[in-house]
This record gives sequence, C-alpha cells and structure tokens, in this order.
Amino acid sequence: MSYSSLKAKMLEAFRLRMFIYGSIMAFALLVLIVQLFNLQIVQGKDYATRARLNMESNIPIAASRGEIYDRNFNQDGSNIIIASNRSAFNLTTIPSRFKTKEEMRKILENLSVLLKIPLDTMMSDITGKNPWERVLLVEDVSFDKIVKIASHAEKFVNIDWEDAPIRVYHYGSMFSHLTGYIGSINSQEYKRLRDQGYKNYHKIGKTGIESQYDVTLRGKDGYIRRIVDVRNRIEDEAVGLAASAGNNLVLTVDYEVQKTAFDAMAENMGGVIVMKPSTGEILAMVSKPDFDPNLIISKNNSAIVQELTNNKDRPFLNRSIQSKYPPASTFKLVTAITALETEKATGETGFYCPGKYTLKGYRDRDFYCYEGHVHGALNMPHAIALSCSVYFYNLGYRIGPTSILRYADYFGLNAKTGIDLPGEEAGFLPSKTWKMKVFGQPWYDGDTINMSIGQGFLALTPIGMANFLSAIVNNGTVYRPHIIKEVRTPDNNAVISSTARDKIREIPLSPTSLEVLKTGMRLGVMRGTSGRLNFLKVPVAGKTGTAQTKSKRTEKFSQHAWFIGYGPYDAEPEKAVVVVVFVEYGIAGAVRAVPVAERVFAKLYDLGYFQ
Amino acid sequence: MKGSENFFKLDYLLIGVVSIIVLIGCLMIYSGGFDPIEKVNSGLYKRQIVWFIAGFILMIVIACINYQQLGDYAHYIYIAVLVVLIFTTLFGSEVRNIRAWLNFGLFSIQPSEFMKLALVILLGKLLELRERDISRFRELLLPSVVMLVPVMVILKQPDFGTAIIFIPILFTMLFVGGADVSHLVSIILVAAIGLVLPMALTYSEWIGDTDASFLLKFFNDIRRLLVVAGILLAIAVVAFLLNHMYRKKLLRKIYIPCSVVSLGLFCSILIQNFFKDYQKKRILVFLNPDLDPQGSGYHIIQSKIAVGSGGFFGKGFLQGSQSQLGFLPEKTSDFVFSVVAEEWGFIGSLLLIGLLGFVMFRGIQTALQAKDKFGALLASGITSILFFHMFINIGMVIGIMPVTGLPLCFVSYGGSNLLMCMISLGILINIRSRRHIH
Repeated sequence: MSYSSLKAKMLEAFRLRMFIYGSIMAFALLVLIVQLFNLQIVQGKDYATRARLNMESNIPIAASRGEIYDRNFNQDGSNIIIASNRSAFNLTTIPSRFKTKEEMRKILENLSVLLKIPLDTMMSDITGKNPWERVLLVEDVSFDKIVKIASHAEKFVNIDWEDAPIRVYHYGSMFSHLTGYIGSINSQEYKRLRDQGYKNYHKIGKTGIESQYDVTLRGKDGYIRRIVDVRNRIEDEAVGLAASAGNNLVLTVDYEVQKTAFDAMAENMGGVIVMKPSTGEILAMVSKPDFDPNLIISKNNSAIVQELTNNKDRPFLNRSIQSKYPPASTFKLVTAITALETEKATGETGFYCPGKYTLKGYRDRDFYCYEGHVHGALNMPHAIALSCSVYFYNLGYRIGPTSILRYADYFGLNAKTGIDLPGEEAGFLPSKTWKMKVFGQPWYDGDTINMSIGQGFLALTPIGMANFLSAIVNNGTVYRPHIIKEVRTPDNNAVISSTARDKIREIPLSPTSLEVLKTGMRLGVMRGTSGRLNFLKVPVAGKTGTAQTKSKRTEKFSQHAWFIGYGPYDAEPEKAVVVVVFVEYGIAGAVRAVPVAERVFAKLYDLGYFQ
Repeated sequence: MKGSENFFKLDYLLIGVVSIIVLIGCLMIYSGGFDPIEKVNSGLYKRQIVWFIAGFILMIVIACINYQQLGDYAHYIYIAVLVVLIFTTLFGSEVRNIRAWLNFGLFSIQPSEFMKLALVILLGKLLELRERDISRFRELLLPSVVMLVPVMVILKQPDFGTAIIFIPILFTMLFVGGADVSHLVSIILVAAIGLVLPMALTYSEWIGDTDASFLLKFFNDIRRLLVVAGILLAIAVVAFLLNHMYRKKLLRKIYIPCSVVSLGLFCSILIQNFFKDYQKKRILVFLNPDLDPQGSGYHIIQSKIAVGSGGFFGKGFLQGSQSQLGFLPEKTSDFVFSVVAEEWGFIGSLLLIGLLGFVMFRGIQTALQAKDKFGALLASGITSILFFHMFINIGMVIGIMPVTGLPLCFVSYGGSNLLMCMISLGILINIRSRRHIH
C-alpha cells in the first residue's frame, strides 16, 4: 500500500468518523429540543400552575368568632357579653418551603429562642403533617414579638403571622357548660370536616354552644394573597378575600337568673334548669361542678385539662342534660296524672296511710312511707303535698305499670328533648320485656310499687323532668327547650333569625286532672314538703323528691335531692316559669334543693318574669 | 504568512454568532442578578462583559498565532497548567467546599477550566504523532494517563462535575483520532460493569428492594463475585495463551469478552470494598436526584418548573417568577438556561440552542477542512468541550441529566470558563483561517 493511498484511506476513515460524531451531536440536540417541547408545550400549563403556587403564599385572615350575649341584648344598651375575642397573633409556616430539614430546624431554633418555647414542641407539631399545608407553630403571640420577627425577617424565613383573636369567656365558669369551649381541631374532626372548609389549623367548638353553633359562630376565613420570593420576602400583597366575621348569638339565658342559680348552688353537685314552659326558652342552666373555659383554651392548659378529665366528680358533664337519676317523689306526679287520665281515680280518691303498705303475696312484703310518717286518710292533692308514699303505692298498684309507663312515654320522659346543646341524654323507662331481657325475671308487683314513687329502675334527666312539668303547666303542650334566642349579624347586630317556639308534643289532658296536680303542688308549698317557698312574693307550686341510689363510687346508699316547681301557681301559662333543681347527695329535696329554688324564684320575681 | 493578511480572513460569522450568544448570556445574567423587591442588580453582568472583552482580545491574539505552534508547545502547556492546577488544589481558595480557585483579589481564576483545553491540545498532538499505531490497544494507555492525572487532581478538589467532563472529551478524541472502536467499547463496558454493579447493589439495599433480580442477589456476596471474576479471567488467560500458539479468530472472540467482564467484575469488587457507603450513595444521588428530594432534587424540580412555566413565548424579560423571586438556584451560572427558557419560552430556547448548534457545526466543519491531522483533532476536541458542556448543562436544567454543576459555554456567568471558551474559539478560527495555507 502506497503512502498516499494509505493517507487517502485514513482521511476517508476520519471523515466517516467525523460524520458519525456530528450525527451524534445533532441527535443529542434533538433530544434536548424534544424534552424542551415536552416541558414547555406539553406540560407547560402544569408547570405554570406550580410556578404560581411557588410564589403565591395565601395567608389566612382568621374570621372573628361571633360573640355571645344574654337574652336582654338590645342594640344600644350596655349588654352582657358572655363570650368575645381579644386580639392576638398566630405564627404559621409551610414546611415544604424549606429547602432542607436543617434549614427548617435552624429557623425554628431562632423562634424558640425568641419566644422561649421548646424547639421539640414545634418540631412535633410539624412532623407527620402534610408538608404542603400550612401548619400552626405558635399561638397567642403578642404584638411586640411580631414586630421583632418582622424586623429580623432573615432570621425567620418562611415564618408567617396572622391575626388570631383569642376567645374570652367573660364570666368564666358561670356559663361553662352552656358556652362550652373551643380547641384545635384534632385529626378525626379534621378528617370528618375538611370537606366543609375546615383547615387543620382551625379552632372548632368542642362542647356546648361553641360546638352546637360552630358553623354560625365561626364565620368565613379570608386570605391575603402574597407574592413572595424564596426567602419569603413580600414582593406584592393584596387582600384576596376579606374575612367575614361569624354571627353573634343572643341566648334565651338571663345573666341575672343564671348568676343567682349558679351562686345558690354554691358547692353543691347537681344542676338547675329555669325554663319558660310557654316557649321552651331556657332562662338559666347550671351544672356543678364546673370549670373555667378560659383556662382550658389558655396556652399551658395540659395540666388543667388533665386534672379536670381525671376528676372523679366529672366537671365536664353537663348534669342538667347528661345525667340520669331516679326521679323519686317527683315521679308521683306522673303516677297521679296517669290515674286521673285513665279514670282509675279522681282527685277525691282516698287512701289511708298507716305508715306502711303491705303487698300481699307468697310472702307479704311491707313498703314504708317516707321516714316512718303516718299520714292517715288522704285525698290526692294532699298526698302530693305531703308526698305520701303509701297513697301512691296503692294508686300505682291499682292502675298497673303499663299505664304509668304509657303516660311517662306520652310526656317524652324516655326521649331526648332536642335541646340545642350537644350530648343530651334520653331518660330511661323500664318495661316488662326489658326486665325479662336484662334480669331474666318477670315484672313483679313490687316493681310497680317502687315505680309509683319514682324509685326502682327509672332514671330521668333534669331537662326531661323540666319538660314534664312544662307540659303540666302549659296544659299538655310542650315546646322544645332551647337556649338560642336570636342570631345577629356581626357588624350591625341586625337580627338574622330568631328561634320560634317549636311544639314537640301535645298531650290531651283534662283540665280537672291538671287542677288536681297543680293544687297538690301548691299545697306542697303551703303545708307540705316545700314549705319555705310559701314566704315568696309570688305564689309558687312544687314537688320535692329524694332519690335513694346506690352510689357507683362509694357503694353506699345515698340520697339525691330533687325539686320541680313553677310559679305563679294560678296565672296563665304565658307568665309561668318552671324551675328544676337537682342536687347530688343533697340529703333530701327539702334540705338542699328547695333553698336553691327559693332564691331563683325570688330573683325571677324581682326581674318581673311573673307579670 | 502575515498576521495582517490572516486578520481579514477571520470567521466573522462565527464571531458574530458567539457575540450574540454572549450578549444573550449577559442579558440573562442581568435578569438573574436583578432583585425585584429591592429593585437593585447584583452587577454580575458587568463583570461578565469585562470578561468577554478580555476574552475577545485573547481570541483575536490566539487567532493570529499559528496554531501549529501550540502543538509544538503542547506538553509544556499541559505541564504548566497541571502544575497550576495542583497548586490550586493544595493552596487555592475554597468556594462551597471546592478548592478550585486562585484568588487575585479583583478576580479569581479556575485552572481546571484551562486544563480542559490543555488536555485537548496535548491529546491532539499525541494522537497526531501516533496516528498510524493508534489502532493498537496499548496506544490508548498514554492518552488515558494524560487524561486521568488532571482528573485525579480535580477529584481531590473535589469537583466531580468538572472531572467527569474529561472522560467524554478523551473518548471523542480517541474515536476521531482513529482508535479501534472495539477497544473503546471494551473500556466503556469494563467501566460500566465496574460502576453499575456496585451501584445497583447499593441502590437495591438502600431502597430496601426485597425482590431484586436473581443476578443482583447472586452477586451480593463478594466471594461469589471473586469466584466468577477469577474463572472468567482464567478462561481469558488460557484462551490468550492458546491464541499465541494457534492464532485462531474464535479464541479472540472468547478471551476479549471474558477479560472485559472479568475486569469489570474486579473493578466492581474494588469499588464495592474501597468506597464507603455514603460515597456510593452520593454517586447514586448524583445519578438520580429524586433519591434526595430536599437536596439536589430541589434544584431540578425548581428548574423544571421554571422551564416548563415559560411555555411557548416565555414570561418576558425580567418577568420570570421562578428566577426573579429566587426559587431557581444558581440562576446566573449553572441554571442560566432555565432563565432563558422561563423568560423567553420555547422560542427563545430554540434560538439559543440553534446558535450554539451553529458553533458546533462550525467546529465540525473546521475539523473536516483542517489542513493537518493536528488541526482536525484540535478542532474536534474543542467542539467536544463545547458540546458536552452544552448537552450536560441543558440536559441537567431540563431534567434528563444528573446535576453536575457544569456551566453552559458562552452563556453562564464565570470568567475562567468564558476565557477558556473564547481562547478555544480563537483556535477554531485560527485552524479555519489557515485551511488553505500549506
């Protein structure tokens, strides 16, 4: 092979290789262009959205929660504010905005130094949450701390603050079970409610009105649309959507009555319900022991909540609507009305009380009158007034359990009243089939005797008894008990809606039978068990009760005190107010419950409720 | 030959195109350096203009010196740059944990950039000298050593991205220089087996892949690897010896693949044993940023958002939210192309790639028209420098290449890279202008 031909051959080979090399380069450029086309044209819209999400930081504007007033709200007067808000700030962040975990840790460290909060609590708030969602870091930060954070923005990258008013319950524990309290949404609640616009940093009502009327009170959050750079510096800011405050609530509850009942209960355990039977409005509802909702929503609440939760007296329980007790002698009214309505007896039906009642049977069994009293011959009003058990043993035995239970059912004693508070319990009425099922025993006459005077298996709620008495006072018509009178706008307090009375039950009762019961209760005040109420300026009527139960806690028998009553005794139902008092371990109705009722009636009279 | 004569034969079209590219780069550096909140500019673009002017003068000067003289001094240039590089690696100043800069106060120089060019010049000379024997396997040794020495130094800095670009440049020049393709393929295969196997093992272990393939499970034990590699090596040695005695083509077909696989396995044993776990993981993340979404993955995600959101026409100059608001990292240097793509859209990206493509085309053309082998090799080597920078950089920006930290030639901010590119351009122009002079 000659040198020149070799050279030519090598040149040819070189050219071929250059061609291959050039082709590879051209192909590579084509690959780049195809990928650019894919990113910019095919997926361009998606990436444009992601770029927008990068720079937009929507800072929520917390809607101010609606305020709660007592029933005497008027547009210009000085009103009783039960719950409102004070100004404070929240610190939030979106974890995914940090490039690294270390960077996030560093910023949070700066925050923990400034606010003297342990770093770990903030870190634990963040872990396990969706990093693309806004997380609440610190609550209730003062304005001067916010100023410090704003002036050292480089130390607090990606930390945002927002107006987050703190709820204030102005009368503390006085309204504890009524207002309830708010708290951070927990994961189960969030899962359930997130479709309804709730966010994981929201507060929601946990109990009471705050829970029941959460949607009304909470308003609608707005947001500030911020354009931010990677260091969270604000390039542009505008209100995207103004927050609309939650609506205000006006309660049917009268502060003065509530305060009187609350003070009168003092250290007693139990509940008080004051209610207008003609409308179902609750004028006062107290449950003891109580708690201060302000402490529960405060920053360092864990110890308090822990203590309240572990407290054996269960202060979170709203005893007025959530506790069931034997109704005791107050149930004699049910026995009485049953006998009258089924025409097994009249007001003049008499029984003789020798101090005990003997139930004939395989083995005779004696049922004694209360505390060994011997009442002698009694008609029905006097038997009610003196709460003669022997009279009602006889009466109950005569009419039988089925009728009594049927009438108890008419009065809705085994149903919820439907009051606008969460967690209401229904009362319990036994039945023959129930007894067979649970005890494997038939219904004995002894059970009937016991039930006639409100002992045995019966377990009723104070609100249920209030509803029963309302039916008597209101001539058979029962309205749903409620505590919200009006919903008003946040800005000018215009009425949005007011709760109309809601008839839930109409029991055909003859005026003569009602008269017998009312006379009996009035006699009870004048001569009987509720004697001290006779000195009130308003004529009231009432029935006491002393329930004997075996305490689950102490395994000892104890006595709970009941009083149900109303006034004025003889006026038209529109003027009447029903008062139900229940005191746990209250010795006897007359001892602990009646004095509470006395103070409430006196206050009601002073406030002019009976006119 | 007179200088003045050559001056008028310069490739004005190429100079014009490159000037436009640098101008686009300066605009993008201006945009990237702009702070829309404080309404100030970092002023980096001014420095880039100064570097461009300096580079332009250097380019003209280089264009006027006969490139063949570069060949005569190739080994001196190489050794000089290498010494500076070693000095820098030992005593230079550190930026982001990489000791790659010589600080002169007003400016600093990155010698590893110039090492690329020095290597290309030396390789050009070596391959020209060994032109006839290059198809022999042992002839590949010297070029490889020449490449590996600076790579080792740069890895010590440690600048992984810069180091890795030397490898494709070497292979391109070997290919163009006439090396046996089967040799090149064998080397690539050895490296591939040596690297891929330990990486695959680490990867499957890292992500807890329980149903890894049979092959991976089998090789998970170092002793099995040794046995297999040893057997293959023994077969290769026997076949090689037999080949010496009988000279059969079939034997060649046995011992070459056997030795390739065996060497690859030995390499993988070395890597598996001598690299620490975190080092292997680092390489894996380098290859697949998604493994570390809060680290290098973040850059790629933000860059792809920038590019994609640009759409067809782009958001307009200074209007790119990703770059202006700082979500895009390294927006004036490594990720400058994202700014182009975001603010000028698909159209702008296409234009820039087209302009760069023209430079590559001119490089290939120059290589084909060069009057001697050295010129041809030099031109193709320079083209490969520009090409691999471009492909790896843009590929990284749009998410089809790992994050390497390589600049985009003529566009990214960086004095040393721009100077090196302008000098390279001067050499290209030089080779082209002398194509008819014999």
